[in-house]
Amino acid sequence: MRVLSLGRWLRAGRVPPRGRVRLNSGHRHSGHRPQAPPQGPAQVPPRKVSVEVLDHLEHLALVDFRDSEGVERLQKAIQFADQLHEVNTDGVEPMDSVLEDRCLYLREDDVTEGNCTKELLENARETVEEYFVAPPGNIPLLKLEEQNTYLQGSK
Amino acid sequence: LAPWIPVVGLEIHAQISSNSKLFSGSQVQFAAPPNSLVSFFDASLPGTLPVLNRRCVEAAVMTGLALNCHINKKSLFDRKHYFYADLPAGYQITQQRVPIAVNGSLSYSLCIDNKMSQMVTKTVRIKQIQLEQDSGKSLHDDTRSQTLVDLNRAGVGLMELVMEPDMCCGEEAAAAVRELQLILQTLGSSQAVMAEGQLRVDANVSVHHPGEPYGVRTEVKNINSIRFLAKAIDYEIQRQIQELGNGGTILNETRAFDSKLGCTIPMRDKEGKQDYRFMPEPNLPPLILYDAKSLPANMNHQQVINIDWIHERLPDLPSVKREKLVEQYGILPEHSFTLL
Repeated sequence: MRVLSLGRWLRAGRVPPRGRVRLNSGHRHSGHRPQAPPQGPAQVPPRKVSVEVLDHLEHLALVDFRDSEGVERLQKAIQFADQLHEVNTDGVEPMDSVLEDRCLYLREDDVTEGNCTKELLENARETVEEYFVAPPGNIPLLKLEEQNTYLQGSK
Repeated sequence: LAPWIPVVGLEIHAQISSNSKLFSGSQVQFAAPPNSLVSFFDASLPGTLPVLNRRCVEAAVMTGLALNCHINKKSLFDRKHYFYADLPAGYQITQQRVPIAVNGSLSYSLCIDNKMSQMVTKTVRIKQIQLEQDSGKSLHDDTRSQTLVDLNRAGVGLMELVMEPDMCCGEEAAAAVRELQLILQTLGSSQAVMAEGQLRVDANVSVHHPGEPYGVRTEVKNINSIRFLAKAIDYEIQRQIQELGNGGTILNETRAFDSKLGCTIPMRDKEGKQDYRFMPEPNLPPLILYDAKSLPANMNHQQVINIDWIHERLPDLPSVKREKLVEQYGILPEHSFTLL
């Protein structure tokens, strides 16, 4: 049974926050200074990533974890990111862009680009009469059982 | 034998009628030499950035207002990731979290009993309207086992209209889409010609017994005309009823409508449930719209979109025009439908 999203999977197994740190709510002008964060990296226990999740990631992002070192690197990266769970963000609006107080520039509806077919096609390995050439539809990765990779061996 | 209740919901993509594309300055035009209307951004060359086209935003606001939607004064852009040859960036910029308009309605009329003498008005709820990019076009060359890609259409602005599953048959869907087409053409926000791909409709179909929860739904694509829309939906409803009646199950799958055979067939290339890994578009700040009350004092007019200003300038919608014809000329309501 494949886990659908790594993010969802991470949230499911939350590390309980220790020594809650209240960071300021996103408001720039409130004048509160955030409390000092805890010293040094938090002691977050490493978590094993299941073979199903790894296989799912390989399909999604078309990466190949290749060997135990690749998987180990991923687990270390997750452990590093898990430190974020130490922060209490109750009631804080998530910030998804540092551009939040910028104005989204609106362009006038004029034709100013295009007509560079030759230049664009120069980048393509193969072209046919000014079309780019691609394989016929997506070639799906073999299912885990049919592969001969590290992941298959580690099941 | 318990009756079956069919449930039909539509997802409609309308190409915005504009001179240039949603995030780049290349031209929007049907049938041009392949890859001649493509900018570096459309081809997803590294280092290029999206720049939002004002006209596309206005078109979406007009459409939202005409369909009685609430216009979100702050809407956000996201990336929807999937791999396909006609999507060079590997993601589509869309509005998944907070779209530009929500909670509207579309009223349409149907003749009862195929006679023009009795018309009934129905309403379908509009869940949301969002701005998003169109993808390029793939031409499948099966003989040489390759796909030819033309990016002229990549990046053209689309309005995706999501309707709630308030309809129950092909006829209702066809009537709703016809009315939507007229509205879009009256507003000028889209020319909505299905034959030129300016209006694309996907149907979600399921059946269930009264009192029971909704059944598994299938998505029907590749519908090229309003007539085929009605046919495809009615075929799919019958197929599901037959399948369930024989003790089978309905798979949550995507099916293509084959107009020659008049049936739906499972689509290839769909590997189970897709995980689109939505993430906020990091290159675009939130889209802020204003109204008469919130209009900022010292901002460049060209950078400001005023919802109330647009509302005041909406043309008469088809339903209003029909009423005026009936009032002014004393014709029968059903005749006003023939005229408009």
